[in-house]
Amino acid sequence: MEKESGYTWKLGMFVSVGLLLFIMAIYFIGKQKNLFGQTFHISSKFKTVSGLEVGNNVRFSGINIGTVEEIRIINDSSVIVSMVIKDEIRKFIKTDARASIGSDGLMGDKVLTISPGPKSTKIIEDNGAIASIDGIEMNDIMKSVKKSVDNVGVISEELAIFSQSMNNGNGALARLVRDDKMANSVSNTLSNLESGTKGFSENMEAAKSNFLFRGYFKKKEKEKEKKQEELKDKKEEQQEKEVKEKAAKEKEEKAKEEKAKEEKEKQEKQKAEDAKKEPEKKQ
Amino acid sequence: MILSLKNTFSQIGSATLFASRFFKEIIMPPYETKEFLKQCYAIGYKSFPLVAITGFIMGLVLTIQSRPTLVTFGAESWLPGMVALSLIREIAPVITALICAGKISSGIGAELGSMKVTEQIDAMEVSAINPYKYLVVTRILACTLMVPILVFFADAIGILGGYAGINIHGDVNFRRYLTQIIQSLEFLDVIPATIKTFFFGFFIGMIGCFKGFNASNGTESVGKAANSAVVTASLSIFIIDMVAVQITDLFF
Repeated sequence: MEKESGYTWKLGMFVSVGLLLFIMAIYFIGKQKNLFGQTFHISSKFKTVSGLEVGNNVRFSGINIGTVEEIRIINDSSVIVSMVIKDEIRKFIKTDARASIGSDGLMGDKVLTISPGPKSTKIIEDNGAIASIDGIEMNDIMKSVKKSVDNVGVISEELAIFSQSMNNGNGALARLVRDDKMANSVSNTLSNLESGTKGFSENMEAAKSNFLFRGYFKKKEKEKEKKQEELKDKKEEQQEKEVKEKAAKEKEEKAKEEKAKEEKEKQEKQKAEDAKKEPEKKQ
Repeated sequence: MILSLKNTFSQIGSATLFASRFFKEIIMPPYETKEFLKQCYAIGYKSFPLVAITGFIMGLVLTIQSRPTLVTFGAESWLPGMVALSLIREIAPVITALICAGKISSGIGAELGSMKVTEQIDAMEVSAINPYKYLVVTRILACTLMVPILVFFADAIGILGGYAGINIHGDVNFRRYLTQIIQSLEFLDVIPATIKTFFFGFFIGMIGCFKGFNASNGTESVGKAANSAVVTASLSIFIIDMVAVQITDLFF
């Protein structure tokens, strides 16, 4: 025999380190699967588990806290999922927590998520049950997608009809877009309108100087001055602002008035034109 | 043709008898503990550097090679898990077994072959030492037990190699790397692969011993025994691997 001590310690070291590696691997994988350490069980009833499998992760606040231990079907519309969860998490899960099934990433595994309830402060018991929220099924998504696609179809059909009539029809809008004559007449109308409103504002000025209306306008100015005096007590900045706002408001009101008038006139003109056209068409 | 076929079958038959004799002899005393430890040292410890280097390179190369494919899928973060999974499930056991087939099987074949040719085995038998017990049982047992341990080392060092490979292109914390690996592993990945390695070890030792023990007379046959030991052992490793994977697939 050769001298023993030369190789036996090397062999011993070799074997023990190798076995240690193996045991470590087993331990860490087991720890990952919650085989060691304190755990507790809870269960939840679902209508469908949408592909959840035994061994899938259970998440609470985004942290993996356990795994799905068993999936058992109890009747045609309910499945009981029981999960094993680290005991140190138990104090955070209250009796009104709810479980839902989601997926992890685009093509990832299913994940069971436990979300905290609104108010309960009672910690859940071992083997307790929590409520579930039905997850969004692919079917539901497809249904809503189909609905909106159908709507889009209707809209695009109508859009097609609209643009068809725009391009080929003889309606007012179509002619406005295509016909030069029409465009010219519209621009003429607009210029007429402008001169019309000028005349109107002159009329208004005249009305102001008229003795019948003078009193009214003077009253108005006095009120304004009063208001301004009141405002002067306040800060100057505010004053300025409010004055500006007032001015803007007045402008807007004027613009509104003008617009209303324009529209009226337009309508009238349109009517007149239509009236003209009708005989043309008849001809 | 028929003769060679018959020859092959008779080889397989005698190998089976040889293996069954191993199980008979291993139970019966006396036990050659010292020789067994010596063989463990020669087979396990002495093969360690070779296995370590191969394991490291396999991990490194596997990481670098599979990286581009995963990057195209945007799944670069799966790289540690994938490398560890393929190392532990398949690559480390098979590569380690092949290296052991090359190193150990040929060594045993040549050693026993030359002993047989120089009639040392016969001399042992004359001096009332059971040569099968002293030479064969110790070696096969040492092989069966040492190859799995070598595979554990190859796994660990391969994972280190993978870490080196990942850090060529990116910067991953070692702890994070290990967490990712452990997350992607299950017992189903580790246990069947480990059981498989016992069979690898057994067949490596058994084939080496069988070829050496049955070497016919003449120096030439020593080389032949060593050669055919390596070839048969390597082939049998792949066959066992296939069977093992199918069985694992069947049950889980």
